[in-house]
Amino acid sequence: MEKQFPVGKSFFTALRDVNLDFGEGEFAGLVGPSGSGKTTLLNIIGSLDQPTKGDAEVMGKSISELNHKQAAQLRNEHIGFIFQTYNLLPVYTVFENVEFSLLLQNHTAAERKKAVMEALDWVGIADKAKLKPSTLSGGECQRIAIARAMVKKPKLVLADEPTANLDSKNSHHILQTMKKLNEELKTTFLFATHDEKVMGYLDRIVKLEDGRVVEDLVNEKLKM
Amino acid sequence: MLALKLAIRNLISAGLKTWLNVFVLSLSFVLLVFYNGMIDGWDRQAEVDTKAWEVAEGQYWVPGYDRYNPFTLQDAHQELTAEVQQMIATKQLLPILMREASAYPEGRQQSAVLKGMDVSQTMLKLPLNDLQNVADPASAVIVGRRMAETLDVEVGESFLIRWRDVNGAFDARMFMVVSTFDCDVASIDAGQIYLDIEVLREMCLMSDEASILVTDLEEAPELAGWDFKNNDFLLSDMKALIKSKRTGGYFMTFMILLIALLAIFDTQVFSVFRRQKEIGTYIALGMTRRRVVSIFTIEGATNSVLAGLLAAVYSTPLFIYLSKNGIAFGAMADGTGLTIGEAIYPYYSMGLIMTAVLLIVVSATIVSYLPSRKIAKINPTEAIRGKVS
Repeated sequence: MEKQFPVGKSFFTALRDVNLDFGEGEFAGLVGPSGSGKTTLLNIIGSLDQPTKGDAEVMGKSISELNHKQAAQLRNEHIGFIFQTYNLLPVYTVFENVEFSLLLQNHTAAERKKAVMEALDWVGIADKAKLKPSTLSGGECQRIAIARAMVKKPKLVLADEPTANLDSKNSHHILQTMKKLNEELKTTFLFATHDEKVMGYLDRIVKLEDGRVVEDLVNEKLKM
Repeated sequence: MLALKLAIRNLISAGLKTWLNVFVLSLSFVLLVFYNGMIDGWDRQAEVDTKAWEVAEGQYWVPGYDRYNPFTLQDAHQELTAEVQQMIATKQLLPILMREASAYPEGRQQSAVLKGMDVSQTMLKLPLNDLQNVADPASAVIVGRRMAETLDVEVGESFLIRWRDVNGAFDARMFMVVSTFDCDVASIDAGQIYLDIEVLREMCLMSDEASILVTDLEEAPELAGWDFKNNDFLLSDMKALIKSKRTGGYFMTFMILLIALLAIFDTQVFSVFRRQKEIGTYIALGMTRRRVVSIFTIEGATNSVLAGLLAAVYSTPLFIYLSKNGIAFGAMADGTGLTIGEAIYPYYSMGLIMTAVLLIVVSATIVSYLPSRKIAKINPTEAIRGKVS
């Protein structure tokens, strides 16, 4: 797969010769310095962008062939996103932020409430359901983001630098939470990161440099 | 429904900015309804009053008579046929004889039109019965309040009137004002002096003659030798004037609406730019671009709905008060020569309110949609990071 972006009259190649396969339940990371293509690859897998050459197949769907509506449906049904800056909706409460994904899936109010409270329980902030994100710490906001990504029980969660704005203690807490969810729900997690703390939790590390895959390592634990 | 719910939630959270837009837009609602309600009230009032005091259901004119050409008045008289006499006897027609005259109150000269009418008539609201049971019916006149002020005469006072008979011979004598009347229809007041038609016929040697015939028949028959003028014609000038006032009102409303819509447009443009991260997040969470556009559009349109509600809160008591007590136009009405009551009672019809609501909601929706369309072209990967330029 290849991805190019227009820069003036020429093109910048963000990804080249990428050939990867991620299985169900993996806890994997795309690792590399800034500009190595991690986020671009994550965006393509998340159907927010399309490759210039080649294709990405996600849940049996060809990303290149999806139109806007089909891509939205894929994200809505199967993919959860966690962003570096949380991207919570500031006018909504914690509960409403997490509920948002379910609103798009036409669940009843009772179903939504049960699922949201369950997701908030997973990440340990059920007691803050009525608060606005602006009143919470960065760690708590990222936990809301995880709950929002997990509440619809997606098959795939894409996390772009989820610990970049967190201190060490919060980072470990978040990662432990995600690892627990990965093990309990068999959800595939794919990270874009250059945080070594994250790497310690990953089962598989794909190293990228200048848009190329330079290393694809499976954690020792998995090898055993 | 989701889009509406989210839009309302976003609007309420936006706080003061939302309420400023809503307030300005609510002013458009109020002014639109207020001004057009006033014009409608004036229109209804003027039509009702003009029909009641002057034209009933229509008039028959002597051929050649033109109400705007005083030179035609001299010859505007003809003898009544038996058919007409019969209809007058059964109160289907009211004959009016009109003659030019000069009034000389305290030596000043004032042009006037003498109007002779049956003192027992009930077709028009003119109080001609005041001319009955007076000591000297041949020297009794009534005038409107405006004419009394112009002549500077009061009830019981006399002044000289000079006129010409059918042969062109001048004659003059003193007439006493036996009563005055107050009426919103300036054209039957200013410059008009009313007296018994039989007295005027005798003064002008025009036995059994009339200049116009007023009818209250809704289906007026053709009368040989008379030109029928229906109310579409008789009220046309008044309608045209009211229409021109309405157009002026539309312009004023349009300007205010434009300001309000510009505020919404500006807010929407700013929103699409400022909230790009939110837009990107919506898309990442699985919302279609079309749905995001609809959220932003509904947000703008909801401004107009809130404005309507706000306008209803503060304007309803005002409108109810005005429709009951009217808006005083006394001094202005006198100078215009128009059919304007001392007070205009605005008329707020359901149609007017619905039109205002529809106009403002539709226009607010359109100006909300235009900037929101940009969302459809936003690159979500850049929007998520807030990097759309």
